[in-house]
Amino acid sequence: MFLTRRALGVAFSAGFSIVLAGPVAAQGQLTVYCSVQEEWCRPMMAAFEKETGIKVSMTRKSSGETYAQVKAESANPRGDVWWGGTGDPHMQAAEEGLTEEYKSPKLTELNDWAVRQWEGSKGRTVGIYSGALGFAYNTKLIAEKKLPEPKCWADLLDPKLKDEVQVADPNSSGTSYTMLATMVQIMGEQKAFEYLKALHKNINQYTKSGAAPAKATSLGETTVGIAFLHDHVMMIVDGAPMKAVAPCEGTGYEIGSMSIIKGAKNMDNAKKFYDWALTPAAQALAAPAKSFQVPSNKATPIPPQAPKLADIKLINFDFAKYGSSDERKRLLAKWDAEVKNLPK
Amino acid sequence: MTAITEAAGGSSRPRSAGEGRGKRRTGAESVRSGPLLLAAWIAYALLPWYWLDFQAPAGMAGYPLGPAGSGLALALSGKAWWLAPILIPLIVATVAWRTADPLRRNGLLVFAGALGLWAVLKQGFVVGLKGWNFAWVAALMGGPGPSQAGFGLGAGLLLLCFLLLMCQGLAGRGWCRGDAFIVSAVGIVVALILLFVFFPVSTILASAFQDNAGHLDFALFVAKITDQSIWGLDCVTGRLRCGVAWNTLFLGVLVGVATTALGLAFALIATRTDFRLKGALRILSILPIITPPFVIGLALILLFGRSGAVTAWLSEWFGIPRSRWIYGLPGIFLAQALAFTPIAYMVLVGVVQGIAPSLEEASQTLRASRWTTFRTVTLPLLRPGLANAFLLGFVESLADFGNPLVLGGNFEVLSTKIFFAVVGSATDQGRAAVLSLVLLAFTLLAFWAQQMWIGKKVYVTVGGKGDAGLPLPLPKRVAVACYATALPWALFTASVYVLILVGGFVRSLGRDYTITLDHYLSGFRIEQGAGGLVFSGGAWDSFFATLEVAAMAAPLTAVIGLLTGYLLTRQRFAGLRAFEFSTMLSFAIPGTVIGVSYILAFNVPPFELTGTALILVICFVFRNMPVGVRSAVATLSQIDKSLDEASLTLGARSWTTLRLVVLPLLRPAILATLVYSFVRAMTAVSAVIFLVSAKYNMATTYIVGRVEAGEFGIAIAYASVLIVVMLVAILGFDRLVGKRKLGRREAPPVTVAAGG
Amino acid sequence: MSKAPASVTFRNVSKRYGLVTAVDDVSFTIEPGTLVTLLGPSGCGKTTTLRLIAGLEMASEGEILIGGADVTRLSAADRDVSMVFQSYALFPHMSVIENVAYGPTVQGLPKARAREMAAEKIAVVGLAGLENRSPSELSGGQQQRVAVARALVLEPQVLLFDEPLSNLDAKLRRRVREDIRALQQDLNLTVAYVTHDQEEALAVSDRIIVMSNARIAQTGTPRELYEQPADLFVADFIGDANILDGVLEEERGDRGLVRLGSIQLELARRGAKKGPVKLAVRPDALAITTVANGRASVEGVIEHSSYLGRSLEYRVSSPLGELFVVDNGRAAVHAPGSKIQVGFSESGIVVLPN
Repeated sequence: MFLTRRALGVAFSAGFSIVLAGPVAAQGQLTVYCSVQEEWCRPMMAAFEKETGIKVSMTRKSSGETYAQVKAESANPRGDVWWGGTGDPHMQAAEEGLTEEYKSPKLTELNDWAVRQWEGSKGRTVGIYSGALGFAYNTKLIAEKKLPEPKCWADLLDPKLKDEVQVADPNSSGTSYTMLATMVQIMGEQKAFEYLKALHKNINQYTKSGAAPAKATSLGETTVGIAFLHDHVMMIVDGAPMKAVAPCEGTGYEIGSMSIIKGAKNMDNAKKFYDWALTPAAQALAAPAKSFQVPSNKATPIPPQAPKLADIKLINFDFAKYGSSDERKRLLAKWDAEVKNLPK
Repeated sequence: MTAITEAAGGSSRPRSAGEGRGKRRTGAESVRSGPLLLAAWIAYALLPWYWLDFQAPAGMAGYPLGPAGSGLALALSGKAWWLAPILIPLIVATVAWRTADPLRRNGLLVFAGALGLWAVLKQGFVVGLKGWNFAWVAALMGGPGPSQAGFGLGAGLLLLCFLLLMCQGLAGRGWCRGDAFIVSAVGIVVALILLFVFFPVSTILASAFQDNAGHLDFALFVAKITDQSIWGLDCVTGRLRCGVAWNTLFLGVLVGVATTALGLAFALIATRTDFRLKGALRILSILPIITPPFVIGLALILLFGRSGAVTAWLSEWFGIPRSRWIYGLPGIFLAQALAFTPIAYMVLVGVVQGIAPSLEEASQTLRASRWTTFRTVTLPLLRPGLANAFLLGFVESLADFGNPLVLGGNFEVLSTKIFFAVVGSATDQGRAAVLSLVLLAFTLLAFWAQQMWIGKKVYVTVGGKGDAGLPLPLPKRVAVACYATALPWALFTASVYVLILVGGFVRSLGRDYTITLDHYLSGFRIEQGAGGLVFSGGAWDSFFATLEVAAMAAPLTAVIGLLTGYLLTRQRFAGLRAFEFSTMLSFAIPGTVIGVSYILAFNVPPFELTGTALILVICFVFRNMPVGVRSAVATLSQIDKSLDEASLTLGARSWTTLRLVVLPLLRPAILATLVYSFVRAMTAVSAVIFLVSAKYNMATTYIVGRVEAGEFGIAIAYASVLIVVMLVAILGFDRLVGKRKLGRREAPPVTVAAGG
Repeated sequence: MSKAPASVTFRNVSKRYGLVTAVDDVSFTIEPGTLVTLLGPSGCGKTTTLRLIAGLEMASEGEILIGGADVTRLSAADRDVSMVFQSYALFPHMSVIENVAYGPTVQGLPKARAREMAAEKIAVVGLAGLENRSPSELSGGQQQRVAVARALVLEPQVLLFDEPLSNLDAKLRRRVREDIRALQQDLNLTVAYVTHDQEEALAVSDRIIVMSNARIAQTGTPRELYEQPADLFVADFIGDANILDGVLEEERGDRGLVRLGSIQLELARRGAKKGPVKLAVRPDALAITTVANGRASVEGVIEHSSYLGRSLEYRVSSPLGELFVVDNGRAAVHAPGSKIQVGFSESGIVVLPN
């Protein structure tokens, strides 16, 4: 009894000490919300610490979660920089004034699409990488079923692929919303919805997460998965029997973005990080972390495995229009009403 | 808390034997407010009033003024003049202390306590981080107003002191049979629930009635809550899908029934048979509860998915076509049944043990067969346990988010809908709040139905007379039914876990079965560095943080949960039912909503807690408290109230009674609560996803990140490590808590014939 | 055993649960060193009254004094009162000695001293040698003694018993109640004792408080209650009584001439006025004979008879109504159907005050 009490006492006093450790102090520090995968976040932060001596506290969350958190914390912001993650939530945060305007001296070194993102958001967010939308098929399954290899969006409507295509639900996933917006831009709204309704017959599941179809394709749970090409490439690099396809009709893309949170407690350090993250040296850290997006700085070497943007027929994606919350709500409501609930 | 009330309530000094008796009886002195009053003055005059950053070097500079200044000093120096009115209740309390007339003194104490609470809270909410918090104050006082940080040690302690002073006063006026401990306990629990459940939850639920700009819009609320996507019944009439509310309800009932039945089967086998592998069975029944979310879903896919192991085998050997049946209702149901059966088991095992054998013997002497006895005596006596088990299973299913996320397919439930209403590509906090209200309504309904079903019958089976009866061996058909349900289920669980264990050691589960240690190394590498061992693996930080938080949350949850359960069953006070329901509230609200509501409520002064470990601990404590409450209620309703009363009349105060009489009899409930809260703190996802900070990242958010990135190997490896840690912890708790001694004999063996 | 026992006083005490009144404006005093029984049918408020003394319930109104000190708002733990529960309420997770030593232990006495005190009391109740048993290993009677020992160990000012004999067999009851009485007298304790069994109450009490419908019906010594019941309820509840209608024909000082059918009796008037009155006739005040016995007898027919060893009980139909008769003489057994005479003696007949 004595021993256990003592053990409890020790446990409690240890606990008390961490309870009392309050929010992190605001000197020589930086809090980053990181919305790419852990492997990429960690070396990024480590490299920045090494370079500047600024202590980085990093929290990894998906971009949707980070947006919700930044919004909820807006009365007393806890984060300084929000790095990575698909552009839509960044745009939305910019629209709502949750993020800070900043013009980095590095802006001139960036690709056009990255600068357009910056302009579209009135300087509140900037592109750091981009990735094209596409699909991938499981080569083993295609061979087993003796199906023709799909090359275009239109090929996915093949009745032989009934229940063999997987894509995320655009309500929960930015990836899938990008596809919805892409279709509307390629085909026009009416035709796009007709296409999606036809595709609905072949969809086996609308997943919650955008990258899930890539994983499902690699495991053979579905024959075709629609996601960002770099998600597919990651599986392929890992040895999955699949092939990624950039559709022949052209495709949309995401712009991974970065924003400084309004009211950041470490504003100077946040700007230092912002500038540094746009340098080729920082952006080159993506490839070793198995992230094969296209970096935004023109001088950054593009990893050999990355889907070459030059080989992909990219559409001129209108981020300002399709990133606005009104248009998004309208399209999603329409998709919900006209596509999602259709009988098969 | 206990120390204070004991000191306050008890001047029962040990007396020498010559004096003959120990109980004291000078009534007027039963409550001593001296030490409390002293603490209150210290809190106000000496301790740092505001939340301090202990890492900041300049912490104590300028004391007694400056950031670490005391309330009194800051008030008198004019730096925080709005703290000055707090002096008034303190002086009133001091006057009360010097008052001889008990009635007057207690009245003054109640007044001082209430006024003090009001004064401290009022200034905290009016003067915020950025000046006046309310437009009308700004209009009245002019200017942006002064600013202040969140409550610190001084303010917190002072609030507690005022609360306790008020409770003492109320006890002195005869509340709760004049028991200061009980009144204080009620006061503290109510205050905590108000602060950590009602305050945040009402903050977010208010947004159900607002449009996106924050204006009241009732029509919008009506439109949202009557939406076809929630209540549609198209699946009955046509081929379209049903509303998400019906899906959720249907799944919840299904899971509640299944987990209760399975839990009962396990509990009966564990307590009433001599099944040889009981130990293994117990571990198996506990395993799912200690499994981080996603992992069971993942394992099910790898077993039963279209290219899963079992599916492949069935297709090769029996030509059963591969299909995706696992995605949707069947998959979620299986995963939830796997995950929540242990909860039902833990509730029921205590209740089955608690049934007085003599009642069953009585039935048998009335010529009832074993089966009739089981049906007419044992089962009805199990009612509170069954009802509680069902309620927990149902509510857990409603709140579960990980499994529907992985296995949901096109079957939507409220929890995932709510999650994506907050973080999805069309964020709409109002919609999340509306859906949460629906979920809450279901829970309320289940709670009410449970109350109706248990009714007002008495289920006391642990009386004060001891019980010399022998537990009835199970009737054969019940035993057979138990084995027939529990054993295949156990086998199923076992295979899922073998898969999980293997998963950590192969390159890619489901595709490449090359054996590797890479997953463990990347997460848990330990290197020999210059200054000793270096924990260089990526998972260590979150692992240690998780352990710390869970180790703190578990005992606190047990204390608050069991105390609340004790108050609910053993005390009578106004608003008891409302109080009971409010304890269920945080459990019923989806984790995502709790997470966001905690940020909204605790990111700004006066209660500024985000970014600390404290907010994680608090979140866990109040989220998991209902399990403690339910198991305490279930167990206590079996224990004769006169045991407590006997202890009271022997001069033991409520606290002593609780410690010496109630707690030893509550051991199964304590164990269940400790284990559950520890495990939940280690495995919860949705609530903490917004509360984790760089410093306090939790294991599960790390795992979720891995799953999102498709790195199932590391996720499974990490999950296996957590499972082992939790198993060790559970065994540790088991040893620490010990067995309940009821002075009963063991059940005789029951043997089931091979054919039966 | 050196201390003086304390009195218990209720002054206009009421206890209400919402709309239900469990105890209604009750006042009484239990003198130090006496055993007082609270007697009444179930639901009359006697147990609530006992729990009010213990501090397990708080009075809604009125004052409660123990040993002259006001304890109305004092919690159970602070009152110098111990209680023996109907269910005994032995702690199932403690042995006999741990149960008995519980009181002194929680008072902070050293463990050895507490055990010493416990052992002493266990010996007093005659259970020496069973200290380390668990309660479930004891017989009902033994458990009851443990409960008594546990209540005694603190030598409380007041000891309370809540239906302590209800779980015991008939033979044991008689012994245990004698033991309780002996203990009370040896240790000079103030005892309040709740029972619904009038025989038990008559046997052990110094005084009895009869309760009915949350109020006190009558207080007095067993003899007073039996011989001078205040009303119909008490007359019927304490000892059996045949309640008969009579007419007071003539007031003679504090006595009166009462006509009961054909019989005329001179009885204590007890304040009754001329006119119809109720009479309580004790069964043993009636005598069955085969021949008429002058003016104080009526004719009757035996309806039913029970042989109880020590006595005979008859149910007799008569012009006065059905009569219940106990014959302690056992002269002869009258078979059902036989015609007999029932004789009335003036000693066992009481006029009930209006």
